[in-house]
Amino acid sequence: MTASPMPPSDQPPVASPSGTAAAAPNGTAPAAAIAPALEVDHVSRWYGNVVAVNDISFGLGPGVTGLLGPNGAGKSTLLHLMAGLLQPSAGRVLVEGASAWRRPAMYRHIGLVPEREAVHPYLTGREFARLNARLQGVADPDAAAGRAIATVDLTDAADRPIGTYSKGMRQRAKLAGALVHDPTILLLDEPFNGMDPRQRLHMMTLLRSMAADGRTILFSSHILEEVERLADSVLVVYAGRLAASGDFRSIRRLMTDRPHTFTVRSSDDRRLAAALMADPAVFGVELADGRVAIRTADYDGFTRALARIAKAGGVTLYEVRPTDDSLESVFSYLVRR
Amino acid sequence: MTTMVPLFDVTLRGLLSRRRTILLVLLAGLPVLIALLIRVAGGRPDADRILDTLVVRTVMPLVALVIGTASIGSEIEDGTAVYLMVKPIARWRIAVSKIVVAAGLTALLVVPAVVLTGVLLGSRNDTATTIVGFSVACLVGGTAYTAAFVALSVFTSRALLLGLAYVLIWEGVLAGLLEGTKFLSIRQATLGLAAAFGIKVPGDPLAPTISVIVLGTVLVGAVVLASWRLARFEVRGGD
Repeated sequence: MTASPMPPSDQPPVASPSGTAAAAPNGTAPAAAIAPALEVDHVSRWYGNVVAVNDISFGLGPGVTGLLGPNGAGKSTLLHLMAGLLQPSAGRVLVEGASAWRRPAMYRHIGLVPEREAVHPYLTGREFARLNARLQGVADPDAAAGRAIATVDLTDAADRPIGTYSKGMRQRAKLAGALVHDPTILLLDEPFNGMDPRQRLHMMTLLRSMAADGRTILFSSHILEEVERLADSVLVVYAGRLAASGDFRSIRRLMTDRPHTFTVRSSDDRRLAAALMADPAVFGVELADGRVAIRTADYDGFTRALARIAKAGGVTLYEVRPTDDSLESVFSYLVRR
Repeated sequence: MTTMVPLFDVTLRGLLSRRRTILLVLLAGLPVLIALLIRVAGGRPDADRILDTLVVRTVMPLVALVIGTASIGSEIEDGTAVYLMVKPIARWRIAVSKIVVAAGLTALLVVPAVVLTGVLLGSRNDTATTIVGFSVACLVGGTAYTAAFVALSVFTSRALLLGLAYVLIWEGVLAGLLEGTKFLSIRQATLGLAAAFGIKVPGDPLAPTISVIVLGTVLVGAVVLASWRLARFEVRGGD
């Protein structure tokens, strides 16, 4: 894991997961040597006077990346730009090294699950998957459709018209349609919408295994828990701009203008608190509810020093827990900034 | 051609929704019904007049309008067009498939209506000539109308309204008043083609050669424009 230093306030924190080329926001060289499967290079998109996406750059390689942002942040616009369904007003989107715009041949590599629910209601799930396979020019459309239907766990309902499907089933039918040609890049716009917890879990396991096979998967969501559970790295979009990219814990560590907090349970909280106050990395200690709450500006320095300080003071540590490195914490900080 | 077969399939199934099919069959059946009523009431047989006023001027453009604007326009409107747009298929193939299916369906509805109306009423001249002449004219004219409306629906979500305005206002009123606008009227070209078979049509339709050129230009222009537009077609995101 590499992480760039804390950027100035108008630049997003960028953390580059290993194996993934993440371009820095201002056009600096990619962090990794591997060419990204999908590259967004200073892309903006506006509609009249409304800027939907504003000068965004990043690169994606194999793995699952969560595209996170509140409703209206520009997630779908960004996904549609990457899928070649929108022309960038400025900048460029490259898929496998070539422009995504006006290049139908690239759809041999891409599978897209759009956010809109509409699916031909008169087709059955199997017919829909088969139609997608035929349109993709797959050699054996029936077999490909059958495999995709089984993969998304829709076999029981495969021969019912999609018009009779629940929202979650429709999402799975859309995913089956996107998988029939075994794409290397998957773009999913709010794929978990309408799914029950079991379906959600199945989908997450499926996407994880597909990423492990070397696929590049980007999914958008406004549900933090989904992104936290599934994504190797995140792209946080807010008001059309890229607020941060990379592993969210790394992003959190780059936020040096905001103290990190930990709670510690130990054999002697009072003695530990007194010893910690002498450490320059610590600037706040509180005893409450049988725990020591600690605030520090230096995450790495503190985590290295804690065990040493406890040992020197003859204190046994029972539990050390960072309390604000959840995605929710990172996200709420980024969107308030 | 193989890649176009699934496009034909999905277009046809999309067009044959129950409500739309009933509406179209009723519309196409209207001249036959009127012919039947005339026959039952013992009226004077005059297929030429019914085929000109009812089929060429009304039923054919309306059937072409409903089918043409629905073949891709409804998919664009309901969002299912995105599944075609994210496939490795040349956009001209999508445009041609939509036009072929829509034109075929229009012909399938209009030409039998022409034949049945002609058979039921007969002609004051030669019934066979009337039936063949109007059938060919409607086949070609209906194809031109359908292609034009398919192309229009790729450019605007108000294709149905604009198409209706073209048929009723431009062709129905202005083309009759302003002689020079005949070249921009599919109806006049269709009637010109019918006249080439020796059928007497009212007014002064376009010459057969000009009619063929006009209809051919509309057809080729619609394919080119629809392909051009689809190649640049954008699907906006939800946010």
